[in-house]
Amino acid sequence: MCRARYSAELQLSNDEAPSAMTVRSASNNVPTAHRLAAILRQLSEIIVGKDEPLRLALACLLARGHLLIEDIPGVGKSTLAQALATVLGLNYARIQFTSDLLPADVLGVSVYDAGSQGFRFHAGPIFHSVVLADEINRAPPKTQSALLEAMEEHQVSQDGETRKLPDPFFVIATQNPVEQIGAFPLPESQLDRFMLAIELGYPDSGAERELLAGGDRRARLADIAALADAPTLAQWQREAAAIHVAPALLDYVQALLAASRGQPASAAAGAAAATPAGAEDKGATRRGLSPRAGLMLLAAARACALIAGRPMVVPEDVQAVFCAVAAHRLAGGARAGTFQAQSLMRAVALP
Amino acid sequence: MAALISAWRRPPAAGRAAAGAASTLSATQIGALGVLLAAAQLPLVLHLPLWIAGFGLLLVALRFALLRRDRLRPYAKPARIPAWALAIFALLIAIAVRKSYGYFLGRDPCVAFLFVLVGIKYLELRTLRDGSLLVCLALFLLVTPFFYDQSIVAGLAALPAILAAGAALDALSRGEHGLPARSWRATWTRTAALIAQGLPIAAGLFLLFPRLASPLWGLPADHAARSGLSDRMAPGSISELSLSDAVAFRVDFDGPPPPRAARYWRGPVLSLFNGREWRALPPRAGGRLASGDGPRVSYSVTLEPNDHRWLFALDLPSALPQIDADPALRTSAGGFAGLSGDGQLVTRLPVTQPLRYTLQSILRDRHPGASRGDLAIDSQPPPGNPGSVEFARELRSRHPDDRGYITAVLKWFRDEPFHYTLAPPLLGDHPVDEFLFDTRSGFCEHYASAFVVLLRAAGIPARVVTGYQGGDINPRGGYMIVRQSDAHAWAEAWVDGQWQRFDPTAAVAPSRIERGLSSAVPASDPVPLLARADGGWLKGVQLAIDAINYQWRRNVIEFNRDRQRSLWRDWKLDAFSPWQIVAAVLLAVLGWAGAVLAWIAARRTRGERAVVLWDGLCRRLARAGLPRPPWEGPIAYAQRAAQRWPQFAIAFRAIGESFAALRYGSASARTPERTALIATLERAIDVLPSPSALRAIGK
Repeated sequence: MCRARYSAELQLSNDEAPSAMTVRSASNNVPTAHRLAAILRQLSEIIVGKDEPLRLALACLLARGHLLIEDIPGVGKSTLAQALATVLGLNYARIQFTSDLLPADVLGVSVYDAGSQGFRFHAGPIFHSVVLADEINRAPPKTQSALLEAMEEHQVSQDGETRKLPDPFFVIATQNPVEQIGAFPLPESQLDRFMLAIELGYPDSGAERELLAGGDRRARLADIAALADAPTLAQWQREAAAIHVAPALLDYVQALLAASRGQPASAAAGAAAATPAGAEDKGATRRGLSPRAGLMLLAAARACALIAGRPMVVPEDVQAVFCAVAAHRLAGGARAGTFQAQSLMRAVALP
Repeated sequence: MAALISAWRRPPAAGRAAAGAASTLSATQIGALGVLLAAAQLPLVLHLPLWIAGFGLLLVALRFALLRRDRLRPYAKPARIPAWALAIFALLIAIAVRKSYGYFLGRDPCVAFLFVLVGIKYLELRTLRDGSLLVCLALFLLVTPFFYDQSIVAGLAALPAILAAGAALDALSRGEHGLPARSWRATWTRTAALIAQGLPIAAGLFLLFPRLASPLWGLPADHAARSGLSDRMAPGSISELSLSDAVAFRVDFDGPPPPRAARYWRGPVLSLFNGREWRALPPRAGGRLASGDGPRVSYSVTLEPNDHRWLFALDLPSALPQIDADPALRTSAGGFAGLSGDGQLVTRLPVTQPLRYTLQSILRDRHPGASRGDLAIDSQPPPGNPGSVEFARELRSRHPDDRGYITAVLKWFRDEPFHYTLAPPLLGDHPVDEFLFDTRSGFCEHYASAFVVLLRAAGIPARVVTGYQGGDINPRGGYMIVRQSDAHAWAEAWVDGQWQRFDPTAAVAPSRIERGLSSAVPASDPVPLLARADGGWLKGVQLAIDAINYQWRRNVIEFNRDRQRSLWRDWKLDAFSPWQIVAAVLLAVLGWAGAVLAWIAARRTRGERAVVLWDGLCRRLARAGLPRPPWEGPIAYAQRAAQRWPQFAIAFRAIGESFAALRYGSASARTPERTALIATLERAIDVLPSPSALRAIGK
């Protein structure tokens, strides 16, 4: 609910050309916000009716984070990843995780080359800028952790050799809802590596109708043009990181974090009241947001502000990403966490 | 004070930079000055000849028209009237004023000239310096209506101009410092707040700042025609006066007022008769105060200016009047008024402003004292009117006794068919004859005149006394109002060695004396509204206004040195010397100013300006039905408001973005960028209507 609302509002501020507050790219004269808006428009033609997840995905990429999509199969997760890669002019690989997938299948393998009389490294699919790790919870933990380590380190160490991953490196992992059979749910420590967790959800009826009438969207992927390239994206990531955060906003972020840990009375009351039945206050307190979560919240909010064309982060940016940042980190799993995150947000007044 | 506060609030850094560009006035500033000028001119309009009033206002309107032209055609060369033309114009106006009034150095022509001159100045207004000068001129012009009228209505009429002066100063000071103009509403609110901050100081100074015994300067007095009794009386003059319900004077009695029939307010005594017209003798000293028995009354009279030198008193004063309104008059040598030989109270100077005096009287219809010369004049046989003289001689032969003769004359008046009317027929060369034997209808002056003629023809010394008879208690103020419609004339005759009052009107129309004018004359006579017994609600309203004005004058206008001292005595302040009180007052003023400044400073530190503005906006929108939940950010809230009130979408967008930029942006304090953002925020908030209006138009 809260996400939908803020998506609408951010949409508004994005459509109108930002005036004095527009961030201008250092390299050229077209404001970054306009180019990002064009990218989002392009994406929304492929993924119909999903503006908010698209924006969050883009924000995640701009904030150098990784994205976790939790949803049932068939709602367009892979299409989203592929479209994102195409529009941004990045290379793309998809790894279908299965229960018998080994780390080497992801990272690559050194094979003896008779010609050169030595081992030669065959890079795995992870050596791409956009990697779709499909149904990550179906792979065994060992493989999962190999992927997550690479995500964290931005490099792969194998056979005593360290290999850097490409610079814009963005993993979109999809996860089936854990109730489904044959799944290894990701532990919290690993969930924490994902900056944002979003749900795509079913399209609304109008979007679905368009989808059904327009045929397979994936076929259109071939038609769309790249609107950026890797250096540009790196530049945007630098711009996003440089967006101003005022002390007042830091106060707000700290208040949110503290409330998630049940610290100040007022915020804790809101959070406790929002905790689903069965979860005790103590549990909620222990599973508050980590400092890393706070950093990621800020980074994602900065990216949001960049997309909105603002030179500074406002509370709306924080709120726009807060559910996606906090839900999978709070107790009770993503769905309960979303509810909890919303209540938290409403319990914390702007300082 | 106002300037001090505005200097305090001024953001200095941004101001200086733009100061150079603002030396010429903007259209907004000229507009504000024009509003000030018009507001200062309007209270004067009633006191000026029509052509002057029209001219002065026309000049202001002309500048407004030029402003409008410039706005509609911004690239056209601005219309300017050359300075020499204005100078010639001013000269012509001066000549015309001189012609119109017949003299120039006096209150009325000078005010009229100033009225037009200020308009001319406005027409050539260009620079900031002109603007400041014009504000001073307008404030001076604003003082001038008080030369004519110091009632509470005049005070209220000056209020808009005071507010407009604040607005104009605000516009000038903002322009000087390169700040954008505020909306009108913000300007008015700010000015009103400044005036409210200044009010305690004004009140404190009014009560406590030591007053001088005499004013530093007096009001200039012009001799304008005023209605009232004069020192002449011809047939018709008093009945004409009775058509006016203007107030002659107001009276406060210590104790219950005497009955109406005893309320003879004695004024000019007329002894000289030329056959048609009565005139007063020049006042001579030698009056004797009443003494002895009889009911004593003590009262104070507030006399409206009448440009004459007489005061009014109930029958005969037992003490000379005490004055407390104008110490300058009182301190002049020999008292301010004396009792003349014929028993009139006469002042040294004509009464040209409201005058309050206290008196004691003895209510008695006879009093001793007359010089031999007076008696000789008062017993001269009347010229003309042969019929009356013949009639008197014939009547006298039957009544050799003085008192018997007078009773016979009064009886004759009572028995013959005389009519008492406000609209008597015109009389010819022998008015007393024609009245007594032909028309037989007249007003009190006819009866008094005829009565005295009949007495003098019979050799009894007699004279006409004019004044007022009656007066009505204002139920709302508990004081008595005596109007021109109460004007009356009666007679005094020298009987048994003293002067005795005889009122022939009482013989003809006793109800005039018992119940007042309206009950005595025919219903068709044009009795003025306020003199009627059944004035209706209009009379009630008029009496209420009169009561307020009377209190205003007694407590505010006449708050002089003595009243101040007695107030200090009441407050136990008289132990201190005036300089100590001045020092204390100054300290209190400084303390108040400090408190206001401290409050502003506290508000400043408690929340910076942007936050104060934003909180105010949130409160307003909450009253308009759109509260902000505490977690909602400025941009989201502004967007929600813009959806609710799409007609103000631009303003809301500007509000949201500028506040977000101020609160979360990187601009540090006191930079021009920040000042500009605050100005944007202020202006965008100013655009919004009041919460109730928003509530009305919101869905």
